[in-house]
Amino acid sequence: MIGELGAVLGREHGARLRRSLLAMAVYGVLQGLSFAMLVPVLRALLSGEAVGPWLAAFAAVVVATAVASYVQAQYGYAVGLAALRTLYHRLGDHVAGLPVGWFSADRVGRLGQLVGKGVMDVMSVPAHLLQVVVSAVAAPATVLVCMFVFDWRLGLAALLTAPFLWLAFRWTQSLVQRSDTAMDDAGAEGADRVVEFARQQPSLRAFGRTADGYDLLDDALVRQRSTLRRLLRTTLPGLGTVALTVQLAFTAILIAGCALALGGAVDVPELVGVLVLAVRFTEPLLAAADVGGELRMARGSLRRIKAVLDTRPLPGTGSARAGEPSVELDGVGFAYDERPVLRDVSFTVAPRTVTALVGPSGSGKTTLTRLIARFWDADSGVVRVSGNDVRDYAPEDLMAQLSIVFQDVYLFEGTLEDNIRIGRPEATDEEVREAGRLARVDEIAERLPGGWQARIGEAGATLSGGERQRVSIARAMLKDAPIVLLDEATAALDPENESALIDALATLARDRTLLVIAHRLTTIAAADQIVMLEDGAVVERGTHQELLDLDGRYAAFWSERTRARGWRLTQPA
Amino acid sequence: MTITAEAAVPVAPAPDGDDTPAPGRAALIALLAPIRPRLIAAAAFQVVYAISALVPFVCVAELARVLLSPGAGGPGRVWPIAALAVAGLLIRFLSFGVAGAITHFADADLQLHLRRRMAAHLSRVPLGWFGERNSGHVKKVLQDDVREMHHLVAHAALDLLAAVVTPLAALAYLLYVDWRLTLVVLIPVPLFAAAFAIMMRGYDEQMRRWSEANTRISSAVVEFVQGIAVIKTFGQTRRSYRRFAEAADDFADFFGAWVRPMLRLSGLSMAFISPPAMLLVSAAGGALFAANGWIEPVDVLPFVLVGVALTAPFLVLDMGSMRLRSAAESAGRVAALLDTPPLPEPETPVRPVGHAVDFRDVSFSYDGTTPVLRGVSLSLEPGTVTALVGPSGSGKSTLAKLLPRFYDPDKGEIVVGGAGVRTIGSAELYHHVGFVLQDVQLLRTSVADNIALGRPDAGRGEIERMARAAQIHDRIAELPRGYDSVIGEDAHLSGGEAQRVAIARALLADAPILVLDEATAFADPESESAIQDALSTLVAGRTLLVIAHRLSTITGADQIAVLDGGRITERGTHDELLAADGLYARMWAAHVRDDERDWTRR
Repeated sequence: MIGELGAVLGREHGARLRRSLLAMAVYGVLQGLSFAMLVPVLRALLSGEAVGPWLAAFAAVVVATAVASYVQAQYGYAVGLAALRTLYHRLGDHVAGLPVGWFSADRVGRLGQLVGKGVMDVMSVPAHLLQVVVSAVAAPATVLVCMFVFDWRLGLAALLTAPFLWLAFRWTQSLVQRSDTAMDDAGAEGADRVVEFARQQPSLRAFGRTADGYDLLDDALVRQRSTLRRLLRTTLPGLGTVALTVQLAFTAILIAGCALALGGAVDVPELVGVLVLAVRFTEPLLAAADVGGELRMARGSLRRIKAVLDTRPLPGTGSARAGEPSVELDGVGFAYDERPVLRDVSFTVAPRTVTALVGPSGSGKTTLTRLIARFWDADSGVVRVSGNDVRDYAPEDLMAQLSIVFQDVYLFEGTLEDNIRIGRPEATDEEVREAGRLARVDEIAERLPGGWQARIGEAGATLSGGERQRVSIARAMLKDAPIVLLDEATAALDPENESALIDALATLARDRTLLVIAHRLTTIAAADQIVMLEDGAVVERGTHQELLDLDGRYAAFWSERTRARGWRLTQPA
Repeated sequence: MTITAEAAVPVAPAPDGDDTPAPGRAALIALLAPIRPRLIAAAAFQVVYAISALVPFVCVAELARVLLSPGAGGPGRVWPIAALAVAGLLIRFLSFGVAGAITHFADADLQLHLRRRMAAHLSRVPLGWFGERNSGHVKKVLQDDVREMHHLVAHAALDLLAAVVTPLAALAYLLYVDWRLTLVVLIPVPLFAAAFAIMMRGYDEQMRRWSEANTRISSAVVEFVQGIAVIKTFGQTRRSYRRFAEAADDFADFFGAWVRPMLRLSGLSMAFISPPAMLLVSAAGGALFAANGWIEPVDVLPFVLVGVALTAPFLVLDMGSMRLRSAAESAGRVAALLDTPPLPEPETPVRPVGHAVDFRDVSFSYDGTTPVLRGVSLSLEPGTVTALVGPSGSGKSTLAKLLPRFYDPDKGEIVVGGAGVRTIGSAELYHHVGFVLQDVQLLRTSVADNIALGRPDAGRGEIERMARAAQIHDRIAELPRGYDSVIGEDAHLSGGEAQRVAIARALLADAPILVLDEATAFADPESESAIQDALSTLVAGRTLLVIAHRLSTITGADQIAVLDGGRITERGTHDELLAADGLYARMWAAHVRDDERDWTRR
């Protein structure tokens, strides 16, 4: 574990960590010594010899112990703080270089945990936990050595219990570790069900399923309890065994001591001193057992941090210069979790033209736009943006070419205005407002109390799907990149929302190179090129008229759409 | 106090603490009520443990007395004492183990009990409660906070008890041996208390600063992690990372500055009462007393052995205080959740007769200040279709949600089949009122169970019939395990397909009154027309209240109610409203125009 810690902290903190470990060891030894000093003090006292010199020596050791305790605490915290700082920076640095595709909702949630609580867990190891463990080894070992010095037979009796102690510790550890995994799984399932339960309250209620009728949640909760009970049943005997073995050392010394004393083979005052020492012998061990849980937690966090740091960032820090704004796909293939999503896709979006991507859901349209933005790298083939392979750009240079308006619009906790400004942070207030106006966000600002300064995001005012996309378009307007990747909103929009959105899109599309995932075929009939995807492959390509004349998949799509548009929920009465 | 790194674990993570009051003692006791008998039993064992813990020490002292007494110390006197010491150890071990086992198993039961109670409670709170919080908050309270209470339930009370009983017993024993030396041994305690008091000066202020710093770093973490994917797409990773790095450095600086003086004082105060210091005082005091002939040398032993026990609790209590604090805060959040007032259930439920719906002068506001609905009256005749239209924010979705009692109106009344919805039992109400939402989310369970949500006893034949009617049977049959495929595991359905499953679900539930959010997604044309066919099947013959987004779909409705600013401003059939030439007519004109617009045309 110390090795892992050292690896995560990096070389520059190695010396600090070693110094801190040394201080802890010194403290542990002094602790043991201060206990051992009792023996000569008591022997002198009980046999009527001069106690003064021994007391003075004892006092010196006690003072030294206090100083060592103080110093090691300072050192430990210094390492802890260094760990805090280093881990924040290393994690931040590394994560900033990971591909956008890495950031699934699940990963983002766990990363948040890791950067928050995980870093603190790791910090507590050098700051606090390590000392307990070091003392648990160093102090009893010192006491043991001293016992041999006082009386080798009593020392031997204590030493004989050590293997049992070690075995009991190891056994319990393996028990706990196995149960921990089961607890984690049960906990994750329980948490998932709770989230589902909260999110789906409307349908659960509408279908008469209150908590009583919702077995999925109740089963998960019951399983959590039975897993916890199983954990207790397996680990409590283990922990009990450890506690019992710890007592064993004292018992062994007690019995051996009594036998020796009765045989007259031992100096009684010294034996009494050793017995008092035996009482103290095991205390640091029990303290170590106490922090076992925290140590395990810290180790888990450490491993997870290491796993994140070991994730490879996208290769390439090229310095390609962008040419005319175009997008070109050349034999692009991509698989997600071994499931092929795109196969041999090739087409070109010429500068300042509009290409519409159409196809059934699951045909790979969204993945395609994400490969262009380099959320991931294609498995085969080449994606070119403005004349260069996307892998030859520095990430920020590639992004400078692209404006992305996708459906899952992330809104920050912040004001409406802040949320637009992210498109170009150095923009003036006027520019932000102008972009907002062009994207018809001004109407949203009018509706919200607080206007442009209204707080939005999860804890703020909620915006509808269409409104969120308008904010996203405003960001793109402000960013003013030459190529726009657009995933049209699928949600049904109110007439006035739809009207605003169409105005905004028309403004954004002007004079730019545009690749749009079109869900509403009517809006793309004038596109320069329509690419029809099916099962990850291009099946048809051409203008609207060309494809209708072809009378293939697109034509069938189109007539379905026309039929759907004429649909009435009910016929006129 | 030791500043353990536990202090660094965010005690109040993220600024979501809208309901984290300091838990009242009464609230805590109420939460623990179900396991109280077991806690009391555990406490009894803990008292046995606390007292028996001293037995081995006393035995060693007695043993010394026997062995050192001139001429005495035969086996007959030595072994019984040794046996007693070992017996004391065993009793101590057993009673400690039993007390711990009782509280740990009780904790497991309490966790289940509290989670169930909260889930049951959440099924009865107004849905608006969920709107103000994200599901993460619910998860945090039900899972994390309940788990955090573990320390409180399983350890804190027992630790506290032992920390009081053991020193008292030790004190009594030492006073019995020699009261003067006892006073001497206690000398470090006031020194510790003084140092501790200095350290605790401004503790609240210190904790406030700590929790502020904690909140700052937490929100920096959240902002950085949550936003990074978006930020990267705007090419501003460096900038955002810099902000995070600055926040992290600030936090580390603060933490260093904050902890260092506390660490110094705590090191000092702990030095006074640490075991080595207590041993030194006992030995030195004892030597002094023995030298002056005030006590026998052998009487020093009890002090050396037991003296340490006098101050041990200070160390223990301090170690646990941070954990206890966060456990108590968690308990506070659990209690607050359980305190949320539920929607009242009628005491003598009324059965509705017929399928007519009447909104009578209904007013509603989400926050109590901004009215969303103002005096809305609307009648739905049995078997007719009523469409709600209006600009976004006009209140049409809100009005529809009052019918299945997702919220209760502030004023006015909603009457279903002659009975006010508040007087109908909720199970009965849902037999009458069904709901198909815009944003369909299926449960992570089999497709069949998803369809049978409203009628768990339905047979497979019925389920399949509804799936066919909802145009989704063929798709389900293609799944690896057919109807037994689990959503999200081996059944990955598109939005449009999920919508059809939801329609099958509503068909099976067969409620005569239906609230429908007409929002067939533009998933893809094939899916859309299938959804439309399914919807047509669903609505036939029911009393329907539809939230309309695309006006063309509802031109045939029996009545169209136009909402604007929370009021019904127009009402009539499509033709009547066009003739009236008001808001509806303008919306219709915009709809017709936009439907033909092609924004890619340049």
